[in-house]
Amino acid sequence: MIADEATLARLMVAGQNGDKSAYNVLLSEAGLWLERYFRRRVPPHQLDDLVQDVMLALHNKRATYDQTRPFLPWLAAIARYRWVDHLRKVYKHESDLLEDNDAIEESDEEAIAARVSLERLFVHLPQKQAEVIELVKIEGHSIREAAERTGQTESLVKVNIHRGLKKLSALVEKAE
Amino acid sequence: MIASLTQDLAPVRAFSARDGAALLSVAGVLTVVGVLLVEGLWHGVVDGGASAFFWFTNGLLGLLGLASAGAVIAMASPRVGSRSDAPLWLGAMLAILPIVAVLSLVRQQHGVEVITNDMYGIHCLSASLFATTLMFASLTVWLRRGAPVSVNAAGWLTGLASGALGTLAYGISCSMDSVSHLGVWHVAPVVIASLAGRLIVPPLIRW
Repeated sequence: MIADEATLARLMVAGQNGDKSAYNVLLSEAGLWLERYFRRRVPPHQLDDLVQDVMLALHNKRATYDQTRPFLPWLAAIARYRWVDHLRKVYKHESDLLEDNDAIEESDEEAIAARVSLERLFVHLPQKQAEVIELVKIEGHSIREAAERTGQTESLVKVNIHRGLKKLSALVEKAE
Repeated sequence: MIASLTQDLAPVRAFSARDGAALLSVAGVLTVVGVLLVEGLWHGVVDGGASAFFWFTNGLLGLLGLASAGAVIAMASPRVGSRSDAPLWLGAMLAILPIVAVLSLVRQQHGVEVITNDMYGIHCLSASLFATTLMFASLTVWLRRGAPVSVNAAGWLTGLASGALGTLAYGISCSMDSVSHLGVWHVAPVVIASLAGRLIVPPLIRW
């Protein structure tokens, strides 16, 4: 089970103060949290790279964590930012299936997890944009396949992906 | 990876909005001192000679600048659930000023010429834009040190904040306190600075 919000915040503060053992625990816990966070929205073979990318960002930007605020909304904002960036870079045809949806463990953190989840970003996108981003950028289908499945023209698929990603990047902090 | 990151760990000074506010304050004070040295203080500000519209315009600029600057400073430490709607509403309020200026002149004969022939207008525009540069730079530096995740919004707000505060700083030296002058020439720098912020800042703060 992943540590709760208060524990993670305490470990992060200790990490900012240079406590290596606390920081080691924090990174391990954050890694587990991120794996679960991304699992539904990233193909398995890309998961490790993305988690490591966010962990590196966490390390490089650790000074920007405000000790008076909760830790998970801060980590989730960075995770969403790197994820949108990751989606922009993924253009290759990928056919790997996503893992089954793992239900979020029952805990006091469930409400926070739901509020900062990636799903909350998609809620704010028009369906046509969410659909093609899901097919091309997450499930790895080609533009042509996405066009056939959705009934959109290929150029419309490209436009909707472009507009959708732009909107996603504007929603990183707002969507909850 | 975790082992190497832990090995590299060094204590860091935790983010505090106060540091950002202090940085902007220094830039703001230097700007005001520069304006006072170069342009001087308009006596109407201290002897009560300034019109009500002067105070209204500069009050709005001050509120818009502070709200936008507060949003920019907070953006350096991201979090899901962060909102910065206040500058949007204050910006909309400021946008009323040029509309009022145009409407007040539209029925007058040669009304438009009152604006275009304003001999101090271009000076106010360029001097206000010059007065934004230090605060624009300080906010950009602050964002570069942080981890902004809404880079386009941060760009707009950086321009809006520095444009409003820079125009306010210059405004204490300007003796033209008519509706047409303030509504056009003291709002245009905010618009231009915002556009500049949107174009210039995002590539500098993306990480």
